[in-house]
Amino acid sequence: MIAISNLTKYYGNIPALEDLTLEIGTGEVFGLLGPNGAGKTTTIKILTALAYSTRGSARIAGFDVVKERPQLKPLIAVCPQEINLDRELTAFENLWFYGRLFKVPEISRRIMELLEWAQLEQRAHDRVKGFSGGMQRRLLIARALMSRPRVLFLDEPTVGLDPQIRRQLWDMIRQLQAEGITILLTTHYIEEAESLCDRVGILNKGRLIALDSPQNLTARVGGYVVETVNGARRSYTLEKDREAAYARAREETAGVLIRQANLEDVFIQLTGERLSQ
Amino acid sequence: MRMNWANIFLKDMLLFKRRLLRLGYVLSTLFAPLLYLVAFGLGLGKQVAMRQGSYLDFLLPGLVAMSSMTNSYTWVANSLNMGRLYFRTFQIYLQTPVSPWEIVAGQTLAGMVRGLFASSVILVLGLVLGSHLYLTPVFVLGLLLNGLVFAAFGVVVGLKSKSHEDTATFTNFFILPMAFFCGTFFPLDTMPWWAQKVIHLLPLTHTNRLLRSPVWGPETMVSLILLTAAAGLCVALSILFIRRYSE
Repeated sequence: MIAISNLTKYYGNIPALEDLTLEIGTGEVFGLLGPNGAGKTTTIKILTALAYSTRGSARIAGFDVVKERPQLKPLIAVCPQEINLDRELTAFENLWFYGRLFKVPEISRRIMELLEWAQLEQRAHDRVKGFSGGMQRRLLIARALMSRPRVLFLDEPTVGLDPQIRRQLWDMIRQLQAEGITILLTTHYIEEAESLCDRVGILNKGRLIALDSPQNLTARVGGYVVETVNGARRSYTLEKDREAAYARAREETAGVLIRQANLEDVFIQLTGERLSQ
Repeated sequence: MRMNWANIFLKDMLLFKRRLLRLGYVLSTLFAPLLYLVAFGLGLGKQVAMRQGSYLDFLLPGLVAMSSMTNSYTWVANSLNMGRLYFRTFQIYLQTPVSPWEIVAGQTLAGMVRGLFASSVILVLGLVLGSHLYLTPVFVLGLLLNGLVFAAFGVVVGLKSKSHEDTATFTNFFILPMAFFCGTFFPLDTMPWWAQKVIHLLPLTHTNRLLRSPVWGPETMVSLILLTAAAGLCVALSILFIRRYSE
């Protein structure tokens, strides 16, 4: 569904994205994981007609993202990182104006269907400026679904939300996945990527440094982590299996924590830095 | 056929209607031209002798043109600039099936309506205060073209300014000098010849000329052509900048 080839973007002399090449299949939930400034949002901007790449190309559903924008735009929808709803309009009006841009048939019915899905039907005619962050985020996703897109881009969909709302949004994303929508999401939350994505691409400083399913990526660095806590210092050792982790723990004299490896450990292993820095 | 310019226009009109319901907003928008009308038209105007008619008769078309210019321009430049840099609502149009010309058409029309609203209020108030003017087809055409030029210029500024302060800089260097030197408050022939040459290149000069012309004539035609050319240039630049837009 999405084919990206050597996609590169420079801002002046500064590389934001370098030679990104990957393919995303139909119905797949693909996560771009990386710290701030890794190139995740830049990738989404290029794929969704908000930025031109310096070189390289990308196609979505067979359409070139630069040369065939008019054919491409009806197929995609974007849920941006920032909440770009019209705050002076009601929830209903926000969806109505957006839906009209796509010529959505039976628009009022579709709006009420989505407001119900986002659990906002009681607030349909309230202005968005009075909504909480979680409600606005749900409305933003509902707006993106107005046109029944084939490809949905979610840029940091749960950033700044409390854990309860985040899990609610995860359920919504899983529902979309079940409907067969191809989803490209960016995140710097490990748990989010592990929980939602079929495959993950790890970006660091504009480069794709790893690409696989979350399970394969964590298995690649070792299944278990032994964290040694010595005062304010913390050191990490990756071990192949539980027995090896126990053996290592027994050697330590300081406090020890044994846990399963996650994508953060993959990132540390690959870059020597923490993802959340 | 897609009519997305109409959707953009309708949304802006709905937002405009909501803002109109706030009394403070309307007053602040019309405050400057009303101040000029009362201070210059009624106060200073009584001391000024004109070759024809009263000073208020001279001033009113100028203030109508000026409020059309500032309101058309400010609405579009500010809403586009804020929508692009802070609220990021402008990006919605780029990521949906809307073509650049539709964005320009929707935004420009909304700016024109806003300019027409403000200038109509000034016009009615001026007439109530006893001014006389020629409400001819030339007047109406001039006012519409003026709104088009400055709303489209607002799109250019809204797209190119890098911050909200940048918009104010454009206002100070382009809009404010035009308001004072293009014949709003005094006839151009009182200015030095070289200044007149420069002033004749500015669109508001030609709007003022059209709004004060009772009949069609060669000068009116020249002004109409120049205003149309200015509008065409601003619209073309707006479409080009949207096509090339990249973050």
